[in-house]
Amino acid sequence: MKLYDYILSPSCYKVRLMAALTGLSLDIRPVDFHPGGEHRKAELLALNPAGSIPILEDGDLLLTESSAMLVYLAGKAAPEWLGDGTAEQSARLQQWLSFSHRLTANLGGARLHEMLLRPGDIALLQAQGVAALRELEAGLVEQGLRGMPFLASDRPTVADIACFPYVALAPDGGVSVDPYPAIRRWSRAIRALDNFIEMPGIHRLHELKPEPQIGTGEE
Amino acid sequence: MAKEAMLDEWYPVGLFSQVKTTAYKTALMGEPIEVSVGADGNAIVTTSGGRVLSSRVRYGHVWSSIGDPQKEIFSIPEADQPGRRFVDVGVVRVRCSPLRAVENFLDIAHFPFVHTDILGAEPHTEVQNYKVEIRDVEDEVWATQVKFYQPQAAKSASGGITTEYMYRVPAPTCSVLYKTCPPRPSEWDVITLFVQPLAEDLCDVWPWMALFDDETSMTDLIHFQQTIFLQDRSILENQIPRLLPLDPGMEIPTRADLTSVAYRRWLKRHNYTYGAQLVAQ
Amino acid sequence: MSADTTGFWTPVALSADLPSGTVIPAHTRAGSIALWRSDSGRVAASADRCPHRGMRLSYGFVRGETLSCIYHGWSYTQTGNCLRIPAHPGLTPPDTIRVATHLVEEADGVIWVAVGEPVHPPPKLEGLVALRSLTMHADVTTIEAASGAKSDETGLLKATQQYDTMWLLLSEQEQGHTLVHVLLDGDNTLGHRISASRAVESLRRCAEDLQARRSRDG
Repeated sequence: MKLYDYILSPSCYKVRLMAALTGLSLDIRPVDFHPGGEHRKAELLALNPAGSIPILEDGDLLLTESSAMLVYLAGKAAPEWLGDGTAEQSARLQQWLSFSHRLTANLGGARLHEMLLRPGDIALLQAQGVAALRELEAGLVEQGLRGMPFLASDRPTVADIACFPYVALAPDGGVSVDPYPAIRRWSRAIRALDNFIEMPGIHRLHELKPEPQIGTGEE
Repeated sequence: MAKEAMLDEWYPVGLFSQVKTTAYKTALMGEPIEVSVGADGNAIVTTSGGRVLSSRVRYGHVWSSIGDPQKEIFSIPEADQPGRRFVDVGVVRVRCSPLRAVENFLDIAHFPFVHTDILGAEPHTEVQNYKVEIRDVEDEVWATQVKFYQPQAAKSASGGITTEYMYRVPAPTCSVLYKTCPPRPSEWDVITLFVQPLAEDLCDVWPWMALFDDETSMTDLIHFQQTIFLQDRSILENQIPRLLPLDPGMEIPTRADLTSVAYRRWLKRHNYTYGAQLVAQ
Repeated sequence: MSADTTGFWTPVALSADLPSGTVIPAHTRAGSIALWRSDSGRVAASADRCPHRGMRLSYGFVRGETLSCIYHGWSYTQTGNCLRIPAHPGLTPPDTIRVATHLVEEADGVIWVAVGEPVHPPPKLEGLVALRSLTMHADVTTIEAASGAKSDETGLLKATQQYDTMWLLLSEQEQGHTLVHVLLDGDNTLGHRISASRAVESLRRCAEDLQARRSRDG
């Protein structure tokens, strides 16, 4: 499986994270998104005319939507990440997968503007980002009241992975995540998962390991 | 006015490879400027009002000044060595003082906590003594004999090594880092941070590198350096106060911070105070 | 909120939103706070700034009974002393390296931080159960107008939206925002709780609309 990847792209990170969590290995093909704009050049446009990344290739299968990539990886290696298959849970999953695309536009757009100087109406993007975070917070509060720490279920699913990166990186775009206790709890639960990997801007939770000592033989 | 000392310096304002005939709008110390390339292929920098500014093309970037620079852009002799690969890492905007951006680049004690498992890892957190001086002739800050154990110090390193560093500040918002070059142990890899001050609390950071590495792809080199810088960005945007304190009292250095102490002293001596605060609050 | 002349208490967070071994940002009129709970469960409120290079301690991490700064790992006790500087493992940090701390009280599922030195303990929240906290971009006066009720001297407002009765503990922040802690009577079902959560979202929409209109109309 080959992933056309940009290390700073939260959407690409969704796929890298999902692969790590499910034990799948990816063949990474780095794309010079910035400063090179490679995603908009001939070679990659031939694969994905939309000019976006990530792009995932597996034999004949070519995917250009990160949600689809998450579903594919889960389907191949760890179907428990797709929920229990009931109509209700599948619907909850879809609801949040669709929601996650809005995050790419608002929180992601704000981040690209503030950090990588891409054009955009920053005040509008940030306001939309706040509205989206409030929506996510309300959803997580209700899930919490039902005794479920994750968006669609009592265990993480692709819906959580789809939403997590842009939320965790919202401050990059000038949108604080401080006012959302349920989001903070959920984000921490994701970052504490076995085989979780970070991306630049999402740092390691050092508290998960006790303070290592030199000379105990542990490195 | 105290901040005028920095007006006469050279600052990066764009990547030469990306400058077009249509103007790229940016700013220097609050002054709106425009960067473009003329029909002859030379860079043109003007204020938005049309005043032509001095400009240079050096180290892959267009440099300019809204004042009157008294000397040329600092030299990096290693950049002229044959076999070097030059890497334009690309601009990143940070909501912080340009001086804080430079100071963070000079710091190594944060490696295990911020660049975990790349430039450092617990429990190897000790910073051994190193040498710092303000060199009178060049009028630059230099730190030498800096050492730190790193799990994966460079794209060209195959495992953990004790990396040696030298740090140099040749201009108020520029720093040059020389680090152990795994493929050529007698040479230094050169990594720079050129910081463009947009406002006292906002800057565009232009990292650049001159490396000996024939194996790693250009994109991988770019991504490695962007990774490191992006890990620093959320630190830089959350330091209080925003402006770099140049007087003692607000912040407490230790022996690991000798480079930053010298940098702050050198800034104060020269009245390089754009992005700094003077009275301890 | 109840005030005496030497200080007062600010409700900054719900206990449920501060698990052991975590740190969160909080605010009082005295400034930003790194509110944290040690691994053993003890709550502390430290000034949200490491004296080394000014990094926000609320970005840090809790190990055991100490809070460490994310930048260089400097570790602080609950009383504010610096215990360890990782760059100098053999060094005992001098007493001069410390962060200011504030009095904290935790009761009835709410965490209160003192501004100054209040004589009395924080107000009791008789038989109420904390539900959630949220921030409204509206001041207390506007929230009162939107809910049709007034808050009492502890900052508690009884809001009734259609079929839901809830108690809102209000704490006005900077920029005209208000931190709202939602509490319910002890006897409530899951249905009540979800309904109340949605009701307070409605109230927020109403209060923010009203605030926007007030700001526009001067």
